[in-house]
Amino acid sequence: MAVNSKKERRGMWAAAVPMFLLALTCLYPIYFALNNALKDNRGYILDRFGMVSDPNFENFVTAWGRARFSEYFMNSVITTVGAVFVLLLVSSMAGFALAVLRFPHRKLVFVLILGALMIPVQVILVPFYQTIIATGLLNTRTGLIISYTAFFLPFSIYLMTAFYAGIPRDLTEAARIDGARFFQVWWYVMLPMGKPALLTLGILNTLYCWNDVLISLLVLQNERTLMVGITALRGEYTTNVPLLAAGIVLAAAPIVIIYLLFQRHIVAGIAAGAVKG
Amino acid sequence: MSNLTLKNLKKSYGAVEVIKGVDLAITPGEFVVFVGPSGCGKSTLLRMIAGLEVVTSGTIEIADRDVTQLEPYDRGIAMVFQSYALYPHMTVAENMGFALRLAGHAKPERRKAVEEAARILQIGHLLDRKPAQLSGGQRQRVAIGRSIVRQPDVFLFDEPLSNLDAELRVQTRIEIARLHQTLDTTMIYVTHDQTEAMTLADRIVVLRGGIIEQVGAPTDLYDDPDNAFVAGFIGSPAMNFLPCVAASANEVTVAGLTIALPQLQTQLRQGESMKMGIRPEHLNGTNGPSVAMKIDVVEQLGATAFVHGMLGGDLPLLVEARAMRPKAGDMINVPFDPQHVFLFDANGDRIR
Repeated sequence: MAVNSKKERRGMWAAAVPMFLLALTCLYPIYFALNNALKDNRGYILDRFGMVSDPNFENFVTAWGRARFSEYFMNSVITTVGAVFVLLLVSSMAGFALAVLRFPHRKLVFVLILGALMIPVQVILVPFYQTIIATGLLNTRTGLIISYTAFFLPFSIYLMTAFYAGIPRDLTEAARIDGARFFQVWWYVMLPMGKPALLTLGILNTLYCWNDVLISLLVLQNERTLMVGITALRGEYTTNVPLLAAGIVLAAAPIVIIYLLFQRHIVAGIAAGAVKG
Repeated sequence: MSNLTLKNLKKSYGAVEVIKGVDLAITPGEFVVFVGPSGCGKSTLLRMIAGLEVVTSGTIEIADRDVTQLEPYDRGIAMVFQSYALYPHMTVAENMGFALRLAGHAKPERRKAVEEAARILQIGHLLDRKPAQLSGGQRQRVAIGRSIVRQPDVFLFDEPLSNLDAELRVQTRIEIARLHQTLDTTMIYVTHDQTEAMTLADRIVVLRGGIIEQVGAPTDLYDDPDNAFVAGFIGSPAMNFLPCVAASANEVTVAGLTIALPQLQTQLRQGESMKMGIRPEHLNGTNGPSVAMKIDVVEQLGATAFVHGMLGGDLPLLVEARAMRPKAGDMINVPFDPQHVFLFDANGDRIR
C-alpha cells in the first residue's frame, strides 16, 4: 500500500508505536530466557538483566540429562504427533461428511459440535478426570492423545467443514461417476484437496498440544510432558532460574521453529476460520 | 452400443414435483438433446440418469439393464460437467486416467487409453499439466477426454459449453458433433440454447415444467411443432404470435386481413379466438397476402436484418429482411406465404 499524504504517514506512525510496544512485550521474555539460560546461577544472581558475558551451555546439558528433559521431550513428541495425526484424520473425515454428504440431522450435528467449541476446558475438568480414571487411561500417553483429540476436535471439524463447503459439489460427483466409492472420494479427492486447511490445522494443533499444561497435568501424573516438566525445575524455596530458563528455551524451540517456518499458513488458517462457515 | 429407456420417471423434492412422469426411449448411437428454459427439469433429468439424484418413481434402463437403483459408477455412463469438475491436484493425464485407476487397471494400460483419448482431442501436449495451467477450452477438452477414456455406454453432457466464450463455443460444438461421429456412442446433451440443440441433435427433447412437450428431429420440431411453446422455443429469432379469429372453416382474420389456410385439416369454428404463429424468416415473401408494418428498430446483420415493428399500432412483429436496407420509421409491406402459418388454440395446442 502506497502511503502518499502526510496525514496518512502520521496515522501509520501512530499505529506503529503501540504495535512496537506490543511486540516488545512478546519478544522481551524470549530474550530474557535465552540470555539467562546462558548464564550460571552466580552470574544470574549478580546481574539478572544484563547481557551474558561468558555464555556456557551447561544449563542445557543439565536440563536435558539430570532433569529428565529427554524423557519429557519424548512424551511431548509422541502425544503431540499422535494427537495431531488423529485430529487431522478425524476432522477431515467429519468435515467431508458434514460439508458434502446429505444425512438426516446434519445441521443439528454440526451445531452440537460448534456448541462444544464454547465450553472451556476448565469447566469440565472434574467429569473429564473421572472419565479418564474410569476408562483406565490415567498415566497413559494414549489417554493424553485421546484427551487432546477430544478437546481440539470441535475447532478442527469446524474449520474442515467450512473449507470443504467451499469445494464445488461437481468434484465429488465427478469422482462418484468415475467409480470412486464413498471412502475413495474422501481419500483421492477430499483429502488431497484439503491440504491447505490440513496444514494450517496441523500447525495450530501442534501449538495447542505442545504448549498444553492443564490437560497433561491431569492425565500424565507419573510421567510428564515437557511443559509440565518445566514446572518441576522450580524449587519450593529457591529456583535455579538459569536452569529453568534453559528448560523453557528447550521446550519452546521446536514450536518457535515451526511457527517461523509456517507463519503464513497460521494466519491464513485463522482467516479461513473467521470468514467462511 | 446401448439404448436408454426412461419409464414414467418422476422426481419430487418434498411436496414439489420437478419431473412429472417422463417416458423416453433412446436408440443406440443417438445424439439426444434435452432443451428447455431454466427450471424445466432438464438438468435434474440428466442427473437422475447419471445416478446423482435419487429417483422418486419410475425406472431407468441402460443397455436393457434396470439401473434405477444403481450407483453412478455401475451404470456405464460418463458425464461432462458445466464446471468441467477436473481434480485440481491431479495432472491432465491423472484426471483422465482416474476412472481406470479406480477400476484397477495397470499403469501402462491406463497410459495407453489416456494417450488415445488425448490424440482424438488433440491434447497430447497437455498431459503433464495441472488444470489450473489450462485455458477454459482446454479444460473442457480434458473433461471430455476423461469421459472418453472410460468408454461408457452413454455420454452425458450438462451444459458443457456455457462457460466458454462465443467463438470457442461454436468451435467446441463442432468438435462434439465430430466426436459423436467418431465414437458413435449414445450421447445425451443438456442445454438451454436452442441453437446448440438444433445443430447437434439427432433428436431434441423439449421440456417444460418437468414434462416433455415434444420429441423429434430438429427439422421436425421447426417445421411441425405440436404447440405454441415448442414453436416459440425452437427457431431463432423466435416465432411471431398474433391473435386471430376464425373467419370461416379454413380462413382466419388477423390484423384486419383475412387469410385462407387451405392446408388446414381441422374445420375452424367461426368466431373462435386463436393464435397465429409465423416465423420471422417467412415474412419476406414476394407475393401472397401482406400486412403493413411501421418499423421500430432495425438490427442489421449484413446479409439479413431483423426488423422490429408494429402491426396496426399495437401488435409487435419481427421480420427477417433479406436484400433490403430498411430504416426505422419507414412503413413497409410484409408479404407472406399462408403455407407457413401455424395456428394454435387458446391452450396453445396446435391446430393442424
